[in-house]
Amino acid sequence: MPLNKTKWLFIMGTLFFTLLFAMYIHLTSGVFTMTTPEVFKTLLRIDSTEQFDLVIFDFRLPRIITAALVGMGLAMAGVVLQGITKNALADPGIIGINAGAGCAIVIFMFFFNMELINVEINSLVKILIVPIFGFVGGAIAAAIILVISYKHGRMDMQRLILTGIAINTGFSAVTLFWSLKMDEGDYQAAAIWMNGSIYNSNWYFVNAMLPWLIILGVYIYRKTYLLDYFQLEEETVTSLGISIEKEKIKLMLASVGLVSACVSVSGSIGFIGLMAPHIARQLVGIHHRYMMPVSLFIGAVLLVFSDYVAKTVFSPVELSVGIVVSLVGIPYFLYLLVKSKG
Amino acid sequence: MNFSYRHFILFSTIMPVLIVVVTIMSISMGTKSISLETINDAFIRYDKENIDHQIIWSGRLPRALAVLCVGAFLATAGAIMQGITRNFLASPSIMGVTDGSAFFITMAFVFLPGISSFNLVLLSMLGSLFGGALVFGFASIIKNGLSPVRLAIIGTVIGTFISSIGTAIAMYHQISQTITMWYNSKVHMLEMELIYLCVPIGMIGLILALSLARAVTITALGEDVAVGLGQNTRIVKVLSMLAVAILTGTAVALVGKIAFVGLVVPHIVRMLVGVDYRVIIPCSAVMGAFFLAGCDLLSRYINFPFETPIGVVTALIGVPFFLYLIRRKGGEKYAA
Repeated sequence: MPLNKTKWLFIMGTLFFTLLFAMYIHLTSGVFTMTTPEVFKTLLRIDSTEQFDLVIFDFRLPRIITAALVGMGLAMAGVVLQGITKNALADPGIIGINAGAGCAIVIFMFFFNMELINVEINSLVKILIVPIFGFVGGAIAAAIILVISYKHGRMDMQRLILTGIAINTGFSAVTLFWSLKMDEGDYQAAAIWMNGSIYNSNWYFVNAMLPWLIILGVYIYRKTYLLDYFQLEEETVTSLGISIEKEKIKLMLASVGLVSACVSVSGSIGFIGLMAPHIARQLVGIHHRYMMPVSLFIGAVLLVFSDYVAKTVFSPVELSVGIVVSLVGIPYFLYLLVKSKG
Repeated sequence: MNFSYRHFILFSTIMPVLIVVVTIMSISMGTKSISLETINDAFIRYDKENIDHQIIWSGRLPRALAVLCVGAFLATAGAIMQGITRNFLASPSIMGVTDGSAFFITMAFVFLPGISSFNLVLLSMLGSLFGGALVFGFASIIKNGLSPVRLAIIGTVIGTFISSIGTAIAMYHQISQTITMWYNSKVHMLEMELIYLCVPIGMIGLILALSLARAVTITALGEDVAVGLGQNTRIVKVLSMLAVAILTGTAVALVGKIAFVGLVVPHIVRMLVGVDYRVIIPCSAVMGAFFLAGCDLLSRYINFPFETPIGVVTALIGVPFFLYLIRRKGGEKYAA
């Protein structure tokens, strides 16, 4: 389907404003009430007060930015995984990469006694090391999935998901085991983080994520044409002179890296990588060059909005955003399962 | 008939011995070791003043018995489900049955704080039915939904959904920590009242399961064969569902969510004694009791002196087994 450039620009524009709107309602609402002019004045640095600065710049803004970045990272990883596996139901959370990364990070936290909540300013290096650990765990999970679900040179769709579910359970058990060995303070930090929450985010987390997102994002975007080719028959792709398996593994590792960076900041959040690419495909078709940016924005909007819901719906008690996303994502998953042909 | 008498006889002589051994080990081993003589004394001439005797009667023995019973209940429920659905991945924890139970119990904690133990167990069983009905209902309206792999996917996903709602509500009422503790580490803080209640009710479930064994064997041959042999398949299915609900409901009410027992044990039993459910069901009960008691022992020593939740141990054994099943049996024939 040839895509109308104007239509694409229109969709991108709409999404951009939706994201701004989601950020706006997130920014203005909360336990500490602020009026709209106050928010704008603080943002634009017009006779700002210390109190408003603190709420906006130290609490709400980093949280919103983190949510948007995590949403983008997970959406991109989802696009890649769905493209590689030709499996419309693949999602980093469902196939266990989140759990693998999370498990490695908890083990890291156990050995280095690092509380993720109170990060000191000079510990940027420390934070950068967490996603690397996550990457190892995520890559192990991905490797197990590949070994189990590849048979006769192809990946079986149902088996992939089932394997993922099993790996999820296994890694969660190991994570629970290690987290129980922690002392109380660390356990608290780990428990909050594991449930998938971004409410104690700060600028260092944003800084820690950004390099991963930018480098891997650019790498993946440059390779999007491959994702288009992967949808063809294997023989056709090989005859184009592309070594499929190698490229697939590279892209897979890149998406594991993205997921690990996200998980190290926000804990395990599933289903964004499932929903965003699907909605994007409905909107702009299957060309990955167009579909990818759209799904990034959708991922960001979904997560910012979910975080807003998590923050406000039971206020003053906060839900973890991971649960809010699952409550929307699981029915969507089931719907896709119904639609997919047996 | 494909049934190995030799294995069965071996099984029925060795297993009771193993169970007695594991029970005695369970009573004597732990953060405080208790000698065999003391255990013997505690049974023969109980001394109220002796702390060891108190530990045995109020802590170790109830725990050992509860774990044996829960193991038997869950394994039997799994065996029945696998037989009736002819699905090698069927089991209470995978098909949303335990999640349904746990969900109802969470709701009871939130909305009915003063609920009596009996009503709690009853609710837990209703929850089992609810979870199972939701999963099978959904699976039966979608194409190929009852194939093993699809049903397992639907089961886990719906199970996750139910427990997410439970978690959200628990968080809102700020009792999520209580609930989490309750699901994960119930084994060492069992309530006597619940044991007295759950064990007899669960036994009713076991008896129902055993009396269904013949019908399950016939059903496992296939729907057409079963009907041809004059079996009322609908009644059998309803009664089996009831047995599963009783067994799982009491198990969850007693010790919380423990996964994979119902999946792993019937498979091991089938390898040992063949395909006749008249043998598989009782053997699963026995093997399940032994399996969970063994896991309970392991859970005390993996991270000594701290206890590891028993569910972690069963998951660490169950997940590789599950992967093996998918790898070996999840071929195209089943995956459709």
